[in-house]
Amino acid sequence: MTTTASPESAFRATTVAPATGSRATTRRRERAACGVLMAPFFVLLVAVFLIPVATAVWLSFFGEDRPGLGFGPESTIFVGLRSYAVVFTDPTFLAALGTIAGYCLLYIPLMVVGALALALMLDSGAARLRSWAQLALFLPHAVPGIIAAIIWLYLYTPGLSPVVALLAKADLTVDFLGVHAVVPAIVNIALWSNLGYNMVIFYAALQAVPREVVEASVVDGAGPVRTALRVKTPLIHSSIVMVVMFSLIWALQLFTEPMLLSQSSPMISARFSPSMYIYDAAFTRNNYGLAAAASVILLLCTIGLSYGVTRWSNRAGARAEAKA
Amino acid sequence: MPGRLSRRSLLAGSLALPLAGALAGCSSAGRRTSSGASGPARITFWSALRGSQQVVDAFNRTQNRIRVDFQQLPSGGQGGYAKLSNAARAGNAPDVATIEYPQVPGFAIDAVARDITALVSDRLRERLLPSAWGLTTFDGRVFTVPLDVEPMVMHYRTDLFAQYGLEVPRTWDEFAVLARAVRRQASPRRLAAFPTDGGQQFSAYAWQAGARWFDIGGGAWNVSLTDEPTRRVAEYWQRLIDEDLLFANAVDSKQFDAQVGQGLVLARLSGAWEAGAQMKVHPGQAGQWAIAPLPQWDTAHPVVGTHGGSTFAVTKDSVKPEAAMEFIEWQVAHPDALRARLSSGTSSQYPAAPALVAVGGAAFDRSYYAGQDIYRLFDQEAGKIRNGWIWGPRMTATLKVMQDGFARASGGEGSLLDAVRTAQSATMPDLKALGLATIEHSG
Repeated sequence: MTTTASPESAFRATTVAPATGSRATTRRRERAACGVLMAPFFVLLVAVFLIPVATAVWLSFFGEDRPGLGFGPESTIFVGLRSYAVVFTDPTFLAALGTIAGYCLLYIPLMVVGALALALMLDSGAARLRSWAQLALFLPHAVPGIIAAIIWLYLYTPGLSPVVALLAKADLTVDFLGVHAVVPAIVNIALWSNLGYNMVIFYAALQAVPREVVEASVVDGAGPVRTALRVKTPLIHSSIVMVVMFSLIWALQLFTEPMLLSQSSPMISARFSPSMYIYDAAFTRNNYGLAAAASVILLLCTIGLSYGVTRWSNRAGARAEAKA
Repeated sequence: MPGRLSRRSLLAGSLALPLAGALAGCSSAGRRTSSGASGPARITFWSALRGSQQVVDAFNRTQNRIRVDFQQLPSGGQGGYAKLSNAARAGNAPDVATIEYPQVPGFAIDAVARDITALVSDRLRERLLPSAWGLTTFDGRVFTVPLDVEPMVMHYRTDLFAQYGLEVPRTWDEFAVLARAVRRQASPRRLAAFPTDGGQQFSAYAWQAGARWFDIGGGAWNVSLTDEPTRRVAEYWQRLIDEDLLFANAVDSKQFDAQVGQGLVLARLSGAWEAGAQMKVHPGQAGQWAIAPLPQWDTAHPVVGTHGGSTFAVTKDSVKPEAAMEFIEWQVAHPDALRARLSSGTSSQYPAAPALVAVGGAAFDRSYYAGQDIYRLFDQEAGKIRNGWIWGPRMTATLKVMQDGFARASGGEGSLLDAVRTAQSATMPDLKALGLATIEHSG
């Protein structure tokens, strides 16, 4: 490693360089390169995002109408916002939204704080163990979600789990799949899977923090904790926002873990999370219009929240700059 | 359903699914190509019922005008119904499909099950119990043909009843008194379990008490899951649970199998078919069980609801509905069909065709029930099935939400009545999303 240049200076260097030579040809060439390089992205965006979203929106506005008792002939008609109205008046969907909100409020702070703390610790000291700790923390992320859920299902199920048995010996009866423990139990699985991954993101960002800034803070008399919290953390602000956003998007789509745990815990209903509600609407209730409307609502929630996070971080960033 | 599917057969069914799917591709292609006049008419048949293969083989052996291609499905809740719905959506549903009673209105409304009113001959109509036809006929139109009808009965441990000097309860009041006696004398044993996964058992209790959850009078779906009889039933069971007189857990579970196996449960309340399942799961308890009528609210007017039972539908995609109907008629009304079904193992299904009861009774090994003629009892109970019950248009979902509530109630969160209320409020949006005319009644 010879260069520790900040990303900004590197960026400036690349944009300044091609300013020489004929302007028009450069611009044309640039545009062509741009198109070629970005084409795969747009093809995928259209094929796996825009077309399915458009289909879902279309499906949500149409439905097989069964007037009266419904035993007569059915016809597919434009039903307008009927499916949306139904989703919003369905107490089970609202309950699923409530569940996912609680899950996010528990999961995202724990995830971000935990991953950041681990990354800062690895960055500051314990140099020998660094690579081993990274490996150990990252390893769970390599386990597919469904396998992780099965492992944890085993650890949670009374009668099977050595953990529950051990706690029982200490006169502690814990029902991890009980009414109140179910959401924390799922948060635990998600943390176990994703903590290491996000820690690596933070750790990589910390590598780009200029050493001279850290040295300056040390010279100014900041201890390791103060350096970590007041100097390093603000400098990796953009990574934190990114992790919050990705975690949020991931958490809103919660499906695999509760779906699997519902096999063994009656406390997880068939419509536990919005994604499970959508699945249930499509495949148990056989109502694709309803499922599509719920999907569109979930998508809008996701977009809205992501936008909110970006706005909030931009404003926070601007305020920080204004202060400095 | 003649014998609830055992978990093992469900597993086998689900393992066989991919293969079966491949076969379905072949068979439906075969169906299309063989539509010429020569050769037998080919029809396809999907079912999750045990013994269907034997029935199909027997049918194919006895005549050569119709060839049935059979495909075993996993049970409805395990994906069988989703498969049927999706096949119908794609336009390649089988000619004949098995649908349980609670799901009949849903498949009729989705137009998967075709209106077969004109195809049902008078002879067939007379051969089956009117109370069974009542569950598959809506607005004067017949949608499926009943195979079996399963009145609720009480299975109980004769040896333990004798050991503790207990009498078989005839009324629900006696049942509650008995439950207290069992807890007092025989703890940790309990009289029975309230099934938290038993939306259908609970429906049968409400049905017996006179509830009408769904009513299609006046051209609209009247939904009243919390009518007076249901509230009475919910409060009755809630009190027994609150007094710790019952187990409250899932009955389609290893836990309940263990409770029965260890003699912790003295009685189980379920459909007639359960006798066969009991024999299969607990062969060691032969001679210890007997079956009695379900306790009553009013002994002067004894009535029961049903739990389980299957019907056959001709689907909208069938190009040979007459052949399909002939096969269905043979399945539900011919003695050879019942014999073939029973040859696959023990079953105590109560056929909807009264003429077949003797066949079922003769084929049934009475030794497990210490010589009791359980078919005579079933016969007597089937006559008490209360008329006028109608299942709802999205019953799988309604019952699932109710069961989620039961499970929470057993964990101390909410009550059984709350579970029923939630089931109603979660059902209304589903019906509205279908465009049905609905009227909600809140009790």
